[in-house]
Amino acid sequence: MRFANQPILLVEDDEVDAMTVKRALKDLHVTNPLVLRENGEEALAYLRDPNNEKPCLILLDLNMPVMGGIEFLQVDKHDDTLKAIPVVVLTTSQEQQDKVASFNLGVAGYMAKPVAYQQFVEVMRTINAYWTISEIPQ
Amino acid sequence: MTGHLLEGKSLEWLLESATDAMIITDREGLIILANPPVERLFGYPRQELIGKPMEILLPERFRQAHGSQRMGYFTQPRARGMGTGMDLLGQRQDGSEFPVDVSLSPLKTEQGLLVMATIHDITRRRQAEEALRESDARMRAIFDTAVDGIVTIDEHGIIERFNPAAERMFGYSEAKVAGNNVSMLMPSPYREAHDGYLAHYLQTGEKKIIGIGREVVGLRKDGTTFPMDLAVGETRLGERRMFAGTVRDISERKRAEEQRALLVHELESANEELKNFAYVVSHDLKAPLRAIGSLADWLSADYADKFDAEGKEHMRLLVSRVRRMDSLIDGILLYSRVGRVKETALPVDLDRLVHEVIDLLAPSPNIAVTIENPLPTIVIEPTRIQQVFQNLLSNAIKYLDKPDGKIRVGCAAEGSEWKFSVADNGPGIEERHFERIFQLFQTLTPRDKVESTGVGLSLVKKIVEMYGGRVWVESSMGEGSTFFFTLPRTKTGIRSNKGKT
Repeated sequence: MRFANQPILLVEDDEVDAMTVKRALKDLHVTNPLVLRENGEEALAYLRDPNNEKPCLILLDLNMPVMGGIEFLQVDKHDDTLKAIPVVVLTTSQEQQDKVASFNLGVAGYMAKPVAYQQFVEVMRTINAYWTISEIPQ
Repeated sequence: MTGHLLEGKSLEWLLESATDAMIITDREGLIILANPPVERLFGYPRQELIGKPMEILLPERFRQAHGSQRMGYFTQPRARGMGTGMDLLGQRQDGSEFPVDVSLSPLKTEQGLLVMATIHDITRRRQAEEALRESDARMRAIFDTAVDGIVTIDEHGIIERFNPAAERMFGYSEAKVAGNNVSMLMPSPYREAHDGYLAHYLQTGEKKIIGIGREVVGLRKDGTTFPMDLAVGETRLGERRMFAGTVRDISERKRAEEQRALLVHELESANEELKNFAYVVSHDLKAPLRAIGSLADWLSADYADKFDAEGKEHMRLLVSRVRRMDSLIDGILLYSRVGRVKETALPVDLDRLVHEVIDLLAPSPNIAVTIENPLPTIVIEPTRIQQVFQNLLSNAIKYLDKPDGKIRVGCAAEGSEWKFSVADNGPGIEERHFERIFQLFQTLTPRDKVESTGVGLSLVKKIVEMYGGRVWVESSMGEGSTFFFTLPRTKTGIRSNKGKT
């Protein structure tokens, strides 16, 4: 990641999926602190709390209880203080409509969660590499 | 003046000139005079009639009664016009009878009171009356026995006739409704509007129902309403207009229609549910499966030094089964997506598509895949037709057991269809499996030998059948199999130029 001290916000309700991301980042020696929130509502609460540091990247699951990923995007991408933060969707959904809705709401990427852990690591490696090279608005 | 003209003309002269049959009798009823039309009417020569009792012109059975009536007439003689008498019958000389109308005029003469009878043959009139009565009876029979209700109204909407079926339908008797406005048979707000409709029609000639018919609501005597089909015809009777409405109670039909709509709706939602079920289930199965896969992976990595050879093998099998389940779920997702997710149909050059599929599958050098003849361009969802060829070709490649593998792709126009074939010289399939291989998750080899989900052919079948085609296999053991499928040749499906040799 370009800014190693800025947190990455992971919005994910599945404990093992969260562990997978955490482990993959560790395996890739990504040192950014990982903030975990279990649904869109909690994520928005974190993002809008002025005491919290804004993340450099949001990793977003789509199927979550209380507030799903698409609903989260609908709020996040219409909030001038939040919409510049890049969001990468990490999901099981291969549905065309989910992809279209996500990109219409300005996501920076859409990744299918692979079943095999090693492949998952590769996905995270790519995300990390990209956001190391890419500029991010501060 | 006329007196002058006719002066000197005898009564006989008058009678001779008349066109109506006339006879003159005396008190005793003896014929004194008969004019020529009598001859024609009754068939007797006139001379034969003179002096005979006039009853000779009547059928035998009436003669006696007539004689006494005649006596009575002379006691009170007065002129009697046509059509005022009873039904009379005349009898010709040949014995045949015919209906007559007779007028009588007493003639006072010096010889005493005579009677002149003018006789009209009314056979035609009778026949016309009879025909009218018959037609009336026929109309009445139709009116009375019609299954549909018939209501006739005049131009003011006043009910004139109301047949038994209408009586049953509305619960009113004809006597009860006749003379009332037909709007009494309609519930509000149609009731209030009807006079306006009728007036509007009479004024403008613009037809809303007349000659067209529509579905309306009827009001029964007991206040209940029912749906009915109404057809109205218009008839002009001289200056008057009459409207005849035919009504049919369609409550039953409506009920059936509603039931059908309900059933269709239930089926649709059940089908919708089923479509989504496969997707939702497989989607939700994926998350825990991924967790199992990850955890197994971490256990193998983190505790590598703690596992013995058997433990490591078990972990390997665990991870491989996770992969297999993952591809099974992917298969269900793929399968459920066909028909659920619609893609735009585009013209697809199958020649190019099949070449691309072959490149993608990259068969080993000992397998030769040939396209036997130019393939057409058809309008279809590109992903679907690619899935069809990819599955058929990858199966052919995957199971080839010969050092010199041959796979041939062909196409032929057969009537309104394209018939495609993918033939291989592989191991062949036993005939008893011809049906089974097209079922979801059915494979003929153990999964550990050839990694297969058993989705491919069922997917092919689903896609082909969705497009109105058929798929089947022909095979002989040891020599190879040929998979055939058909697709309709639509108007937009154009054969590629390469095909025109």
